[in-house]
Amino acid sequence: MTDDYLDPTDSVAVPRKTAARPASLDGKVITLLDISKAKGDHLLDRLEALLRERARPKAIVRKRKPTFARPAPDDLRREIVGATDVLVEGLAD
Amino acid sequence: MPAGDTDLDEFFAHGVSDGLPVVPPTRARVSQALEASGRAGSELIAEVPPNYGRATVEKIAVNAVMAGCRPEYVPVVIAAIAAICDPAFDLHGVSATTNAPTPLLVINGPIRGKLGVNCGAGVFGPGWRANATIGRAVRLVCVNLGGARPGIVSMSTFAHPGRYTYCIGEHEEVSPWPSLAVEHGFTPDDSTVAVLAADAPLTVYDQRSRTAPDVLATIAGSLAVVESHKMTHWGDTLVVLGPEHARTIADDGWDKARIRRFLWERLQRPVCELVPGRDGGDGLPEHVLRKFPQPETDTTPIPKFREPDNLKIVVAGGTAGRFSAIVPGWSFARGSRLVLRKIASP
Amino acid sequence: MHDGVFFEDHGIPTATIISSEFVRAARAQADALGATEYRTVVVPHPIQPLTREEVQALADKVYDEVVRRVTT
Repeated sequence: MTDDYLDPTDSVAVPRKTAARPASLDGKVITLLDISKAKGDHLLDRLEALLRERARPKAIVRKRKPTFARPAPDDLRREIVGATDVLVEGLAD
Repeated sequence: MPAGDTDLDEFFAHGVSDGLPVVPPTRARVSQALEASGRAGSELIAEVPPNYGRATVEKIAVNAVMAGCRPEYVPVVIAAIAAICDPAFDLHGVSATTNAPTPLLVINGPIRGKLGVNCGAGVFGPGWRANATIGRAVRLVCVNLGGARPGIVSMSTFAHPGRYTYCIGEHEEVSPWPSLAVEHGFTPDDSTVAVLAADAPLTVYDQRSRTAPDVLATIAGSLAVVESHKMTHWGDTLVVLGPEHARTIADDGWDKARIRRFLWERLQRPVCELVPGRDGGDGLPEHVLRKFPQPETDTTPIPKFREPDNLKIVVAGGTAGRFSAIVPGWSFARGSRLVLRKIASP
Repeated sequence: MHDGVFFEDHGIPTATIISSEFVRAARAQADALGATEYRTVVVPHPIQPLTREEVQALADKVYDEVVRRVTT
């Protein structure tokens, strides 16, 4: 808003790029992050089975954040960043 | 944005209102508010989830002016914003959930008298500028700095009218017990604000009980349906005892700890009554059910509230009327908790 | 959303699976952080009343899209 009135809002948006993608999941470490909302584990269980069957990953790692109502804690985030090639997170509903 | 007769519409157009007209935040009004805070406008109080807009003293003052606050209310708003941005409050979840919570402010201490914060008759209702505008300022900060725009980021199915404003004072002068603030480690001379991620208040009617156990049995009956009749392991929830009920309970020699213990014990139910599909399709979550090989017949008691201390007690409201009120928290395990902050004197 | 944006910022290709009612909220949150390129994988709402088998069927349906979201 302009000169007459002061602006009640604030923006912290900074331009961000998405990460570079691998050509396939062959030989990759895939982390499946359960956000701890009911039924999300059922979805990830099935995705894990399909990934093992079809994608030839090096490993599939399962992680779970303590509650869907908050972003993942810093230590969990750091642990994942250091140990995975790609991440699948769900299920927010 | 030009000043003039149509400027109120401009605030609606910019999406910075709560649906009611706002007071235009002119430089003169904002500098008065800043001056009353006794702090530098650039001081950062918090970053407001989920969008993490920076709540500087000046941004808080702008929103407080828009809400209609008098300058001397600003220190209360600042303390409330610090409280809702404490990670323990989980404002991210509160602002994004499909459930209905909003910050309820409970003010304690001498500042209630200085600012004219209503603690008595009609405590949750309209008519007092301090209650109305301090609560509203917190809502405007949630939207304008936190990004909690309804239907966009804030996905609450219903919300509730407290999202316009939700601010009470504890009626310390008629309470038989130490205040909420004193129970949480402050002194009676401190002025504080407590924030609870709160549903709408539910009135409890009991005209005839003459003993502590009788009044509290009625109140427990209303607490039993918080969230749903089968919700368990719930967390911080506010029990607002009306002064008449409080007097009846205190005359039996009961303190707040005994009240909490009584309610908590009474609000347990056996596993077998909480199985999904019995008396409603919802019920104990899978990870709890797994602990009981035959839940259909198991009588292990499951608490409605995780701990007695989750039942937070204040005395508020008018001195006539045998009523109390329940304010359910949004407080499942690892979710939002009650947070208190001292209000700085300018 | 904040998790997904964080992991992408740290070089981890991420597929965040959400239900259809939250598409607008997810977009708004990602944009507020500046992550305008961020894309989610969407399953039909609601999820909570579904059986395990029904949820598995959703996984079968979105599997290809999940893989596409984290590969080139």
